[in-house]
Amino acid sequence: MKKGAILGIIIIAVAIAMIVSIYTDSSTYASFKDAQQTASEIHVVGELNKTKTLYYNPTKDANYFAFYMVDHDGTECKVVFNGAKPQDFERSEQIVLTGKMVGNEFHASKILMKCPSKYNKDQVEVTESKA
Amino acid sequence: MDIQYQGESLLPGQLGQFFIILSFGSALLSCISYLFATKYKEDRSWHQLARIGFFINVAAVIGIGSCLFYIIYNHLFEYHYAWSHSSRTLPVYYIISSFWEGQEGSFWLWMFWQAILAVVVVARSRQWEDPVMTTIMLCQAVLASMLIGIEVLGERVGSSPFILLRQALEAPIFSRPDYLTMIADGNGLNPLLQNYWMVIHPPTLFLGFASMIVPFAYGIAGLWQRKYKEWLHAALPWSLFAVMVLGAGIIMGSFWAYEALNFGGFWAWDPVENASIIPWFTLIAAVHVILAYKNSGHAYFTATFLVLISFVLVIYASFLTRSGVLGETSVHAFTDLGMYWQLVAFNLLFLGIMAYFLISRWKELPITKKDEDTYSREFWLFIGALILVVACVQIIATTSIPVFNALFGTKVAPPVDAVAHYNKWQTAFAIVVLLLTAIGQFLKYKRTTPKVFYVKLLVSLIVSVLLTAILVYVTKVYVNVLFIVLSFAAVFSLVANARVLGDAFKGRWKLAGSSVAHIGFALLIIGALVAAATNKVVSLNAGGSIPIAGFEEREKPGENLFLYINQPMKMDGYTITYVGDSVAAPNVYYKVNYERKNEKGDVVEQFQLTPNAQQNPKMGLIGTPSTRHYLTRDIYTIVTSAPKLDDPTAHAHDEQGHQANEGYDEPTIQLVQVGDTLRYKNGFVIVKGVDRNATLQNMPLANGDLLFALQLEVHAVTGEVYSAHPKYLIKNGNPFDFAHDIADQGLRFRFTKIVPDKGMELMIYQKPLPEKKWIVMKAIEFPYINFFWCGTIIMTIGFLLSIFRRNKELKRKMA
Repeated sequence: MKKGAILGIIIIAVAIAMIVSIYTDSSTYASFKDAQQTASEIHVVGELNKTKTLYYNPTKDANYFAFYMVDHDGTECKVVFNGAKPQDFERSEQIVLTGKMVGNEFHASKILMKCPSKYNKDQVEVTESKA
Repeated sequence: MDIQYQGESLLPGQLGQFFIILSFGSALLSCISYLFATKYKEDRSWHQLARIGFFINVAAVIGIGSCLFYIIYNHLFEYHYAWSHSSRTLPVYYIISSFWEGQEGSFWLWMFWQAILAVVVVARSRQWEDPVMTTIMLCQAVLASMLIGIEVLGERVGSSPFILLRQALEAPIFSRPDYLTMIADGNGLNPLLQNYWMVIHPPTLFLGFASMIVPFAYGIAGLWQRKYKEWLHAALPWSLFAVMVLGAGIIMGSFWAYEALNFGGFWAWDPVENASIIPWFTLIAAVHVILAYKNSGHAYFTATFLVLISFVLVIYASFLTRSGVLGETSVHAFTDLGMYWQLVAFNLLFLGIMAYFLISRWKELPITKKDEDTYSREFWLFIGALILVVACVQIIATTSIPVFNALFGTKVAPPVDAVAHYNKWQTAFAIVVLLLTAIGQFLKYKRTTPKVFYVKLLVSLIVSVLLTAILVYVTKVYVNVLFIVLSFAAVFSLVANARVLGDAFKGRWKLAGSSVAHIGFALLIIGALVAAATNKVVSLNAGGSIPIAGFEEREKPGENLFLYINQPMKMDGYTITYVGDSVAAPNVYYKVNYERKNEKGDVVEQFQLTPNAQQNPKMGLIGTPSTRHYLTRDIYTIVTSAPKLDDPTAHAHDEQGHQANEGYDEPTIQLVQVGDTLRYKNGFVIVKGVDRNATLQNMPLANGDLLFALQLEVHAVTGEVYSAHPKYLIKNGNPFDFAHDIADQGLRFRFTKIVPDKGMELMIYQKPLPEKKWIVMKAIEFPYINFFWCGTIIMTIGFLLSIFRRNKELKRKMA
């Protein structure tokens, strides 16, 4: 057998292993309801409920940040993050959480925010200069 | 109805737009002329026309840049680009970074470098000029089309940087002719990009991207003109150049992330980072396979394919980062400018060219059917290149999850722990690649005697095992078997290549380039491994904070530490104190002192870090870390939270006699007698006596009016003594009172009633104590990260040496 053929087979085997690995490592975008049914970490996409107050009081605990998020199904859930409040959190338009449910709270290990508004969204800020 | 707008400076924009059209037209003209010049070699007029088109193109590209720079530099906010990417307060050197913050500017940067590189090609490539420049000018035309910004058949083609603000946005103010007077300032540059690395990282990265067109163009030219072997020689120095510059650019980005971003590391496997490293991997593989081919005649197709696919992957990278397809998987990508399909077309065009030439020339390609010898360098070079390609496929596959979602309508999310996912695979690939860079050095091209090979190998192997043991022990990476194996592979590569370098000092300078680059790569991997595997958060908040209800079962202690001003905290052997801050608008620098003492109590280490934070009105608090660099480790510190800066307009101005007691806490009401002592938050008050002959400044007393003043002595804990005289008046039978404020202590006294036989009613108002300053910070220790930076520099030097060597070879061949 030619060495090239053996190599080819090995590479195909590695490639299959890789694809399987990517498939098993990848997760799904879920809702809070789905999160309740699984013990593993998943992604939840949603929006910050801006009508409820964010809780972050660093003088008490610098690593406790809590807020309410509404997922795409409209379910609202309290989210607790073991860390400092991410910069500019209030302005976020969309949040992707990574974490799992603990009781009635969603404990996030990672927060990814989409704030295109910060520099890209076009809002003209007008300042009247009066003479 | 047309509005005559006032104060707009339209000339630079119109000129710039003209240059864009000119650059597009001239690139197209030059491309077509070069095409015909290649076809009809005897007719030199095509060649001349092509060159004229090319030089006009270079001038036009420079013209676009000058116009855009003029607009940004002069704060012409009637232009959308200037308004959205810069502001008046931006220092000049950051105006340069705002130039390429937007997609249009970065496309221009790419065009600019491509034009410069093309000048070199025109000057140096002789008989290759016509076919090579055909491809380059085609790409130049495509890039120019990205800036045109006109609508063709309902589809927007390109996005012009010269679009006016009032054309880009809709707002009621644009109905006013004097709208410009109402736009005071631009949006400003994203504070994360206000870093010196951002001035230099994008140009380097784009030079790397742009230079990848040259090997691609040579490849196409070689296939087209059926000069199957010659083009590889010419393309090799260019490939090395592209690999060197792109590698340096990527690492600069990593340095920027480490120095300026808050994710606490130098590599995060973000899709944007991956997009730039993918073509780098394939071109490195290509360089190795070209060498294998040059020395043995094997692996021709692989070499050609890798060179060509590298540039297609560059275009794929720009599709990933610019089309918005990455969506929520990346924080760094540009947002969609509506050029999704144009970018897809760009990809397909160059993929199509590549596929066409490979298929149409397939039967003529010099592909050998003979098997390579196992004990030959070319065989293992080839294997190494394949491993790199497989590693690359893994990165592409995971990074492209959002693309697959868009293609097939699925909704797969990327791995939850992306870094672990990538590390798992790439560690294995890195081990194999490093071992191959070592083994390859013991092999000769064509055939090596196995006995000689094993003897040499054994010596280096023993040395490497010993060195690995020391390294693993010192850097404490022995927690994981894979880490130990990776360390060994890196050390082995280091030793084997150092041996070759040793030979170089004995006169074999020719081989120095590759071994230096390999040593650099091995060091880089060691640095990355140690820093990533053993970095630890030193600001662990294990004790000192009271757990909050419902969160006692916290799995890990918090990583953020709360510090009051001047209140030292112990942290991993250090005593750290937040001692104050200084404001250099718009940044606040927080001074944090680090101090370490030995057992005797002598200070053995002392330094101050000043992480800063920008309280940006648009983005909130943006922290920039500050890092103490040592030879063997770094202490990285970032402020993650801080109180809002005082807004001077928020203070209410309380004056004496004000009715409202706003700004004060609820008062205490007490009946006092002369001689009483009363406490307040910051000290105590003694009632000295009552003055019955008090007078009022503006109010004459009538007969029968009674005025009393209470004589109070206020002692603050800090030692200051104040006196206060609140007054009580009965005028025409009605009671009035006149409060006395002591602003320094935030106190207000009111004497409100006299209760016979019981005493005088005194109301004490206090302002809440001024909040103590505090910060929340996070500190991470990165051990041995200098290996990483050091390896990068050495690797770049290695590439540079190789370029010189291959260039010399090329000259000899051409002479």
